[in-house]
Amino acid sequence: MSSKSRTRRFGLVVVLLLLAFALSACPAQPVAPGEAPSEAAPPSLVTITFVQEPDNLSPLYTTMWFSGILTDFWLLGLWNFNDNLEPTPQLAREIPTAANGGISEDGRTITIHLREDARWSDGAPVTAADFVFTYEMIMDERNAVISRHPYDQFVAGVEADGDHTLVVTFHEPYAPWLSSIFTYVLPKHILEPVMEANGTLDGADWNRNPTVGVGPYVFKEWESGSHLLFERNPNHWQQPNIDRIFIRITPDDAAQVAAIKAGDTDIGVFISFSDVPELEALGTVNVVSTPSGFMEGWFFNFGEQAHPAIRDRNVRWALAHGFDRWQITQDLLLGLSEPPASPWDLSPYASPNIQPVPYDPERAAQLLDEAGWVMGADGVREKDGEKLILRYVTNMRRLRLDTQVVVQDMFRDLGVRFELINHPSDIFFASYAEGGAIATGQYDIAEWSSQPEAYPDPDTSRWTCREIPTPDNPAGSNWNFYCNPELDELFARQAVTVDMQARIAIFEEIERIIQEDMVWLGVWQDNDIWTVSKRLSNVRLSGADPFWNAANWTLE
Amino acid sequence: MTRYIIRRILQAIPLLFIISVILFALMMNMGDPLATLGGRQPPRGEDRLRLARQLGLDQPIYMQYVFWLIGNDWMMFDTTGDGAPNAYGTRRGILRGDWGTSLVTRRPVVEMIWQRLPNTLLLMGTAQVVIIVFSLAIGVYSALRQYSVADNVITTGAFIGYSMPIFWLALMLMYIFAVNFKKWGLPYFPTVGMYDPAVGRTFGQVVWHMALPVATLSVTAIAAYSRYIRASMLEVINQDYIRTARSKGLPERLILWRHALKNASLPLVTLIGLDLPLLLAGAVVTERIFAWPGMGRLFLDHVERADYPVLMGILMLVSVAVVVFQILTDIVYTYLDPRIRYS
Repeated sequence: MSSKSRTRRFGLVVVLLLLAFALSACPAQPVAPGEAPSEAAPPSLVTITFVQEPDNLSPLYTTMWFSGILTDFWLLGLWNFNDNLEPTPQLAREIPTAANGGISEDGRTITIHLREDARWSDGAPVTAADFVFTYEMIMDERNAVISRHPYDQFVAGVEADGDHTLVVTFHEPYAPWLSSIFTYVLPKHILEPVMEANGTLDGADWNRNPTVGVGPYVFKEWESGSHLLFERNPNHWQQPNIDRIFIRITPDDAAQVAAIKAGDTDIGVFISFSDVPELEALGTVNVVSTPSGFMEGWFFNFGEQAHPAIRDRNVRWALAHGFDRWQITQDLLLGLSEPPASPWDLSPYASPNIQPVPYDPERAAQLLDEAGWVMGADGVREKDGEKLILRYVTNMRRLRLDTQVVVQDMFRDLGVRFELINHPSDIFFASYAEGGAIATGQYDIAEWSSQPEAYPDPDTSRWTCREIPTPDNPAGSNWNFYCNPELDELFARQAVTVDMQARIAIFEEIERIIQEDMVWLGVWQDNDIWTVSKRLSNVRLSGADPFWNAANWTLE
Repeated sequence: MTRYIIRRILQAIPLLFIISVILFALMMNMGDPLATLGGRQPPRGEDRLRLARQLGLDQPIYMQYVFWLIGNDWMMFDTTGDGAPNAYGTRRGILRGDWGTSLVTRRPVVEMIWQRLPNTLLLMGTAQVVIIVFSLAIGVYSALRQYSVADNVITTGAFIGYSMPIFWLALMLMYIFAVNFKKWGLPYFPTVGMYDPAVGRTFGQVVWHMALPVATLSVTAIAAYSRYIRASMLEVINQDYIRTARSKGLPERLILWRHALKNASLPLVTLIGLDLPLLLAGAVVTERIFAWPGMGRLFLDHVERADYPVLMGILMLVSVAVVVFQILTDIVYTYLDPRIRYS
């Protein structure tokens, strides 16, 4: 090999490397905090760590929680829910009520008056036409949006009455309207031309690069795998105290904990229960727990494929009495949570008259004996030659794996055995059509966290007969296969009961039936855990809209 | 030679076709892309059915493969949900340059790969250069001093280096050079990312952030490569033609680098030929630990969501690269060893 050609080849490698470097460094936009030299003080910045990267920023195309919680910064809706889960007006001037004429007498029409000073970040006014456009985009067949709830089933129409009045009509009175309509609005003046040009919003640049929004902050940049940056929106009606919000994507929990310890982040998100003692000991952050509406629970299988024992109410009650959930919340969740009494625990719809089933192993043994499941020679109960071995199925979440092991041990003396089965989430949660483990009834006990569909509203269809998955209804969400016409009637009634007190009374009945029939057993309240740096004040995280008061945060 | 290359390329076509069929079948069994959609609980049934129809996931697997391969703009679909086909599809298929659209981000796959590929090439290319330079130096050095103290030290070091699991090495480097150096007040290396967003993507920042991941990737490979070079150098260096070269009075440097190394490098070329295409795939473990925004992380993130268009895009890119580099390796052989002839 001549030295000349070797040099040439080495040169080629260098050029290729430089090319790769240039390509990767091309869109370099230094985000120097001291960008504006004319200002005396550098812009104030709050850093938030995310352990998952949003897949998309447009609420049309994502249901990722890590994307949804960002909208409080840059894409407000009519109102959001504060740390007491009370609605707080944003683009609406006030919350519609019967008293202020916002709710019609028949309960089917909601009239919303919009703020007249609301501006998109490019200065264009936010009008009722934007909301009508948003509704049209959600319902347009050409857009493969993630969710059409509640517009497809419940909304009859959305109309603009002038620039600042919005009228939403429902087919029948719809109780959950407050937490489900217009949690965001799209900029018509930006997206309508895109829709006309492309015939769909599916691939719109705005979905990833939404430089026009409405909120205290405006989207600035998103570097995939690295960070997102939001800046103060000069056109917002309330100027925030902090100039910039910086979202740093960390690869995993350990990296986030390291960043919190090093003081590299101001707000830690989605903290594991097991990291809490270490973080509390730091002294530099406050650990905050917010109710998320998610309640970890055991779903019992009422379907054909369940173990015969699990279809016996006495056995289900025996399992409830034999399961010391307080041991789980104390040992695995470090006392940061309690076993919930119902799927609506920690919400206004949780009845004080419904209490968690107490731990009572003697009663459990007695119930099993009564049900005919007698102790066999090998220490496992049996009946008619069948052993009491139950398929206990969940996904791969660490806490759930640990719980399975503790439960296995807990029930040993009672003569109940479990076959522990774990699926990755995409198989565990797959639909009936895709042969999902739970949706097709391949379990006796399934454990996961569920939340009402429009939290903080309690409405859900999960427990109704019509949601039982079958070949004709492959999309059904009632994976318990539990059918009780009385419960159906109560759910149908609460959904059209706009009066809150009356609705709470109905929910007490619902919760009683779910407990008496032992359809679901609460294991722990799956709260969200955050850390907030002590240099930040006035951060009032909400379980429904965590960053609802971002404009009021202050930095020392 | 030209005929040989043409034949190899023609042979590659059915091979890539079979690879794509197998990969696609595997992708389809990875789980339901609509199971969670990244949310904290499964989507509503009605939305799931509608999305399956809109995204074409309700089609039989073989049809999904056909659409992925040649597109679906020749067939009518039901876009309104009433069961009656009413509009043509819009996909053109990978054979016509349409890599598809991610089910997760709804962005063109080619755009997503293009965004990550330079980052990965930068990391892996740098690592590869470091690996080749160091392993050549170490391998040749220890071959020339067989069974000396230095050779024994290098051999021991190589076995230690080769035995280290890459994730452990990554974490140890991070622990020593980032965490502890910071604690001791020494200049320390950053642990995650490609640059400090507060400073920006400058040359110095990227080099600084690249140090630990490149070191992680290099150690094991240098250990392995240097062993190969040592072995093949030892074999070559004792052959007659080297003695002839020496007796001709050629300078030792020339003998070593031009006569010995050229023949000794055949196994190395094979290794590099096998490794180069994998540079495109990125390093899944290293990129994950150091939060390097490359192809490996892209792959991992989308495996979790069963996003088959993105996964197929990455895997096919690597498959094509493997085939191409195999052909290139064969061509390089003929240059390095004139005795090799293809016909």
